Amino acid sequence: MNLTEKMRQEAAQILESKEADLVIGWGGGEYYWQSPPLFLEDAAGAAELAFSPFIVNNLAKYLLEELESHEKAALFVKGCDTRGINRLLQDHRIQREAVLLIGVPCAGLADREKLKAAGYDAGLLQVERQGDSFILTLEGEEGAREVPAGEFLLDKCLECRYPNPLVYDRLLGEEVQKPRERDPMARVREVQKKPVDEKYAYWQEKLSRCIRCYACRNVCPACNCRECIFDQNAPRWVGKANQLSEKQNYNIIRSFHIAGRCIDCGECQRACPMDIPLMEINRKIIQDLTELYGEYEAGIDPTDVPPLGTYRAEDPAGFSER
Amino acid sequence: MKRVGVFVCWCGSNIAATVDIERVIAAARKMPNVVYASDNKYMCSELGQASIRESIEKENITRVVIASCSPRMHENTFRKTVAAAGLNPFYLEIANIREHCSWVHKEGEVGTVKAISLVRTAVAKAARNEPLTPSSLQITKRALVIGAGIAGIQAALDIADSGYQVDLVEKEPSIGGRMAQLDKTFPTLDCSACILTPKMVDVAQHDNITLHTYSVVEKVDGYVGNFTATIRKKSRGIDMEKCTGCGICYEKCPVKVDSEFEAGMAKRRAIYVPFPQAVPNKPVIDRENCRYFTQGKCKVCQKLCPAGAVDYELEDEVLTVEYGAIVVATGFDILDLQAYGEYGYGKHPDVLTSLEFERLVNASGPTGGKILRPSDGKPPRTVAFIQCVGSRDQAKGKAYCSKVCCMYTAKHAILLREKVPGAKPIVFYIDVRTPGKDYEEFYNRATDEYGATYIRGQVGKVYPEGDRLIIRGVDSLSARPVELEVDMVVLAVAVTARADAAGVGRMLGITTNAHQFFNEAHPKLRPVETHSAGIYLAGMCQGPKDIPEAVAQASAAAVKVVGLLNKDSLVGNPTVANVDESMCSGCLECTQVCPYDAIKEKSITERRGRETLTRTVAEVNEGLCQGCGACSVACRPGANNLKGFTNEQILAEVDAVCL
Repeated sequence: MNLTEKMRQEAAQILESKEADLVIGWGGGEYYWQSPPLFLEDAAGAAELAFSPFIVNNLAKYLLEELESHEKAALFVKGCDTRGINRLLQDHRIQREAVLLIGVPCAGLADREKLKAAGYDAGLLQVERQGDSFILTLEGEEGAREVPAGEFLLDKCLECRYPNPLVYDRLLGEEVQKPRERDPMARVREVQKKPVDEKYAYWQEKLSRCIRCYACRNVCPACNCRECIFDQNAPRWVGKANQLSEKQNYNIIRSFHIAGRCIDCGECQRACPMDIPLMEINRKIIQDLTELYGEYEAGIDPTDVPPLGTYRAEDPAGFSER
Repeated sequence: MKRVGVFVCWCGSNIAATVDIERVIAAARKMPNVVYASDNKYMCSELGQASIRESIEKENITRVVIASCSPRMHENTFRKTVAAAGLNPFYLEIANIREHCSWVHKEGEVGTVKAISLVRTAVAKAARNEPLTPSSLQITKRALVIGAGIAGIQAALDIADSGYQVDLVEKEPSIGGRMAQLDKTFPTLDCSACILTPKMVDVAQHDNITLHTYSVVEKVDGYVGNFTATIRKKSRGIDMEKCTGCGICYEKCPVKVDSEFEAGMAKRRAIYVPFPQAVPNKPVIDRENCRYFTQGKCKVCQKLCPAGAVDYELEDEVLTVEYGAIVVATGFDILDLQAYGEYGYGKHPDVLTSLEFERLVNASGPTGGKILRPSDGKPPRTVAFIQCVGSRDQAKGKAYCSKVCCMYTAKHAILLREKVPGAKPIVFYIDVRTPGKDYEEFYNRATDEYGATYIRGQVGKVYPEGDRLIIRGVDSLSARPVELEVDMVVLAVAVTARADAAGVGRMLGITTNAHQFFNEAHPKLRPVETHSAGIYLAGMCQGPKDIPEAVAQASAAAVKVVGLLNKDSLVGNPTVANVDESMCSGCLECTQVCPYDAIKEKSITERRGRETLTRTVAEVNEGLCQGCGACSVACRPGANNLKGFTNEQILAEVDAVCL
């Protein structure tokens, strides 16, 4: 039985046995690269679930809204998604008893842009993972073609450290091994090495692209406030004018709000339509916090306290000491 | 529209010599909402204040900015001035153009530009100042003292003598604490028991003191004037009403265990009174060692008790009591010597801690006051005293000085010479520290009159040879190695905070330092207060100190308690945080960062469409909140807001500085 079939069977069983009154999973779309979220209350709908190398969306944030009208929601989660679950648990935004987590091991997801660049997009019907390869189903005579998966993975998946779910109630399929192929901190160090002026110019250029679409915020499991300060008018924390200073302000405040809470999933950067390297900012903060307060990975253990979310008399008073 | 009046003070030449007052006034007149600006040589003088009051009335001013010295200096003065003119005192805003401008900038130009900027900032904030009214808090006229050593006893007596009810809670079966274990006290050599026991009796007989021995404070809720404590009175297994304290029960008890009071130098029974002068002088059953509780059989004490007071079925009693103030006097422990194997403690019976030596010298101690070697019962001829065992040792022990060891070691040297004629005390020291009245003289007596030998240097190793002990060390003054043969070694072990101090601190919402001693609110000017209003410190739990210091601090804490309980009501601080529930996500990060434990979670229900939802939000206890603003910073959506320093006000200030 492949993963799609397992997902369908599991979802149908959960809804039939009334173990949960909602199942949130990924469906198939019109195009090969689509995987819209599915919200199932009825076992019959389970047949629409589909596993593909494009199930990149973290479904955890839907819980915020759905749990208001459902007793218990079952959710399919990848390794990175579970850090988002832990984020929401730690932020007291969901109750563990109200969710049923179906873990899905993930060896890395496909990047449509890379497929496009290699000339595979047009006429591509389906992409399937098989071992270290992607099997591309193409229109016309050729039918299928096997390509090495590593060449077409999302950049963030090449930096993945948790391919298997960290927290789950049930696990579908076998755990996968996928060591980090890239050091996620390498870019931070590179940017850091630039002289101050150059670094400032670098970020001016990057942040000037921002169109304030808030995709980075909307996709982020750490951005889970009931009312975001960027949506408030009184007080007006950040202006709405289309100018660099407001764009910088927005991006800096966004990264400060997730400081010590960022689960390093890379979704903000992936979702950004303007290719702003947001993870370079987030990871710079992770690096700084590690230097100040010791090694800390957010979203690993929901019972621990983030370094900036606690008060200790002996905390380093770095600012005043310098 | 708000009508802001700006009053610029010269502070004689303090401000006016550097800052161009005329320019500041001219600039202020052009600022938004400003309807009036003037100056005065001394704004805080009666004339200056009168000019403010008159201008407020004449110009119909509704918000006041005073550009002067630090608000720490005169904010209260000027709040009263503003209130006297009929405005809410929190309509006042101060721009500090003295400490922030004239005192730190030599150049007039820079100072003036900055002064204008600070006035603009204050004007922007003042225009958004809302009226604030302090709440009035009731005070429960009863005090809780935790720990009944000398500090707790003194504090309880002083509060009780002032006419207030005090509950004194002690976890041991008797009050008295560490001081009860000591023999003589420096620098006068009067006997510890002789001066302590009368105070213990006073406590027991005082009408205003309720004693809870063998009891622990399990929980403290509330805030200044209104604490609620849960006290567990552990079952003694003795009906205290019936017991006459005759002592037959513990004479016949078949179980013998190490006596805590005798620092393990003697045995006690499983039913016992810790020491003859104990208060209350009634026994307690140690359930962990009692044969009836461990094996289900025995009951000897019950059979023998003529009063029928032994009752194994008695259960713990849990009390919930309300208090207005709390004194923490939980005392100290001594350092565990595991890391100091080189001194041979625990391996050789004649290597003692100073507390054990104290019992050995004591007339009611295990040897009846004769200094005898635990190994063979013979009097020692040479005794080495090693100081700073664990103190002033950043590598293995505690970085701090334990403060009492130099003095009690001099005392031990004197007592040794008095009790064992011809005996030789040798003291190894790093520095001899004797600040205190008659302390240096006392040390001089030890060396000059009693012939104690002081060797400056540290000991590297203590090991047995035959029936004696060999000490190897270095005399750092002559830089020569020292090797001595002695009969007994006494280690001046570092004092430490209680092992559970951090937990007690969390329970009370008070902080500890890196060594788990409780933090005072200010190291010089508020040495008995904590950062939590209504909670005070006395004795060693705050840091190493000797008996006179502990007593002085206890009396000081008592005065603070009495001063608080004397008030009819407390004026609350109106600049406290509050939570906008509609915005609060219930992440409760504010509860974690609050140093005062002032924020708790709360459930609210609200309608959403057809559904009624229950969700969690944060709630600030205004009595506990000290207005530090940590929650307001931690709150991402800005649901937590500090009254008097709201997000709107601070953003307006930032805008005014930047624009």
